[in-house]
Amino acid sequence: MMQRDLTSLTKRELYGMARDRDISGRSSMSRSELVEALRPPPTEPHEDDNPEVEVVEDDFDVDGIGSVPLPGISPEDRAEARARRTALEDRLSQFVDQSRHCSWTSIEGHPCGLPVLAGTDRCGLHGDGSIADRPIPLTGSLGFSSWPTLWRHLTLATYDPDAFGLDPVVAEMTWSVLNRLYYDYFRVEVEGIENVPSNGGAVLVANHGGAAVPYDGAMLALAVMNEAEPPRRVRVIGTEIFNMLPFVSHLYRKVGAAYAGRDDARELLKRGHLLGVFPEGERGFMKPVWEAYRVGRLGRGGFADLAQDAGVPIVPVAIIGSEEVHPAVMVSKRLAQLVRLIFPEQRVEEIAIALNPIPLPIRWKIRFLPPVEPSGDGEPIDGLEQLERVEDVRRSIQTALDDMLAHRTTAF
Amino acid sequence: MERVLVTGAATWTGGNLIRRLSQRDDMAVFAVDDRSPRIRFDADFRKLSLDGLDLARYILEVDPTMVVHLQSVHRTSEEGRRASSEDRILGSLGLFGAIERLTSIRSVIIKSDTAIYGASPRNPSVLAETTRPQGKPSRHQRDLAEMERFIGEARKVHPETVFTTLRFAPIFGPNVGNSISRYLTLPVVPTLLGFDPRLQFIHDRDAVDALEHAIDNPIDGIFNVAADGQMYLSRMLRLGRRIPQPLPGRMFDTALRAMTRFNVPAPDHLKGLMKHGRVTDTTRMHEDFGFTPTHTCRQTVLCGYERIDTNHDAT
Repeated sequence: MMQRDLTSLTKRELYGMARDRDISGRSSMSRSELVEALRPPPTEPHEDDNPEVEVVEDDFDVDGIGSVPLPGISPEDRAEARARRTALEDRLSQFVDQSRHCSWTSIEGHPCGLPVLAGTDRCGLHGDGSIADRPIPLTGSLGFSSWPTLWRHLTLATYDPDAFGLDPVVAEMTWSVLNRLYYDYFRVEVEGIENVPSNGGAVLVANHGGAAVPYDGAMLALAVMNEAEPPRRVRVIGTEIFNMLPFVSHLYRKVGAAYAGRDDARELLKRGHLLGVFPEGERGFMKPVWEAYRVGRLGRGGFADLAQDAGVPIVPVAIIGSEEVHPAVMVSKRLAQLVRLIFPEQRVEEIAIALNPIPLPIRWKIRFLPPVEPSGDGEPIDGLEQLERVEDVRRSIQTALDDMLAHRTTAF
Repeated sequence: MERVLVTGAATWTGGNLIRRLSQRDDMAVFAVDDRSPRIRFDADFRKLSLDGLDLARYILEVDPTMVVHLQSVHRTSEEGRRASSEDRILGSLGLFGAIERLTSIRSVIIKSDTAIYGASPRNPSVLAETTRPQGKPSRHQRDLAEMERFIGEARKVHPETVFTTLRFAPIFGPNVGNSISRYLTLPVVPTLLGFDPRLQFIHDRDAVDALEHAIDNPIDGIFNVAADGQMYLSRMLRLGRRIPQPLPGRMFDTALRAMTRFNVPAPDHLKGLMKHGRVTDTTRMHEDFGFTPTHTCRQTVLCGYERIDTNHDAT
């Protein structure tokens, strides 16, 4: 079959294929020699082949000559993503009662008209504020079809953002857009979602990466929104740089993130939210590619202190994918100096340089590890105990990362 | 009979408060300011300079049992106009000096401002009364902080006197024309490109109510006073049907200077507010101070833009 297809091609096309497969001596081969060389290799692929090449061979499609063989997203992946998105929609629509509508009317006379949350009399926007913790699609469906309704509420400002600036409407719109990235592009697989408590606060501590864009924060939040039963919002906290950057400064709040100040974190936990923390911080974010998946120092371990004070568990999270999306080929202190010169308020130590402007389609895996409960007496922990707990968390994340990497066949 | 001395009678809040107080039989109101009041009221008004000994002498002469200090910092600092820093704070210095000598003083109510927290990217999302402000303070913020320090000194001399400090969110509503509300009600509002601050307001009537509440129920302490809820600037302008004009930093500064020319004074702390916003925690106001504003933030904004009836009774 393969043989016949190959023989029907012109020499030029065969040569192109040979170049793609990097067959040595191809330039001096005749047409028949090329056909011979291009035959599917009977031997096993070499063990030291890097995963990228392997995928190229798997996906190799003779009819598709001329198109760039992209690593990753196959039609099966796409079909699976679509199925997962539909399943999510079905699951989420149960939380909304389409038969009744919210009776709220604004003082200027705009009716609300959204369907109510199942078991209550109000919609998510005008109810008891549970929307800040439980992201339920306001119209019952998650997608572009609900955008006109959402847009109306956005422009009429029929609701208040929560104390940290979460705007449920903007958050939902972003959620539906980012789900494309989550299901179709990064094809995130989640394990151990049952370790995330379904009620009350918890601190989710994860390894950090990204070099250019903190995708891991978004993916962590989406993982809990999409997979947890019932869905919950993770309030990821970030440094003050988010407050300084134009456009980011308000968008990151509107989608539910918050500033990583001690007061904010404590207040979020007091209100029973899930707190997403990347204690490696900028150091982890700017990790060069040769240090990927080596969990660095977890900041000063303030999260252990916070969790103990609030009496909430720590859930370590291991994320595979974030540290390869923009592989940093170089880490520059000079460039950071330059940035500081232009933006003196910015506290950047070093800047990672990645060569790819678009993120690589890495297959992500997020594993939620068994929670570390706060010590029973609720007393504040001393420095040594805090260090031990931080080290425990760090080690468990590192072990999980190593395990997931060892069992991974391909990055794409 | 309570003898109440009110400074800053020519301010919007001052005028509204004195008008309210002068209708009551249980108190005699002595109003003071260095310019003529904009709002008519029926009370003993004395026009004298607020930054100097005149005010202190007058206070000793009146011998009030209660002082409501509304013009706590010089209005130049609030409006962003130039005045030497000594001038801007002398009024409060004189006033607290006089208070230290009074014998019958029962309570002192000071109007401060949430601008005391400044605006910094490192400020927490919700500012409590105990929060230490971060970043470089603006001039207005320094003045407010210094004024609040005077209170501490006066408290040492009069431990039995009640000092109530009310940190008001920007006062907004149909009956005020302070610099921030004038700026926000311009037909085209210059905003900072890429920034959408979270803002909090207090309705002008609620502000007067809060002051009256403090007069009737003297409680020692510092309280943030703001309406429930908060509002993104973009949403607020949309509610007010105002057109936002996003400008990059430098051009925004220029626009503010131009506004000052057209008699819309732009305070120097306005840029910080328009960049990082300011939302305060009002738990203490609700629980300890025992005051709940009748208007939510959204209603305040609608009232301020006269989208709903000014005397609308909030439900």
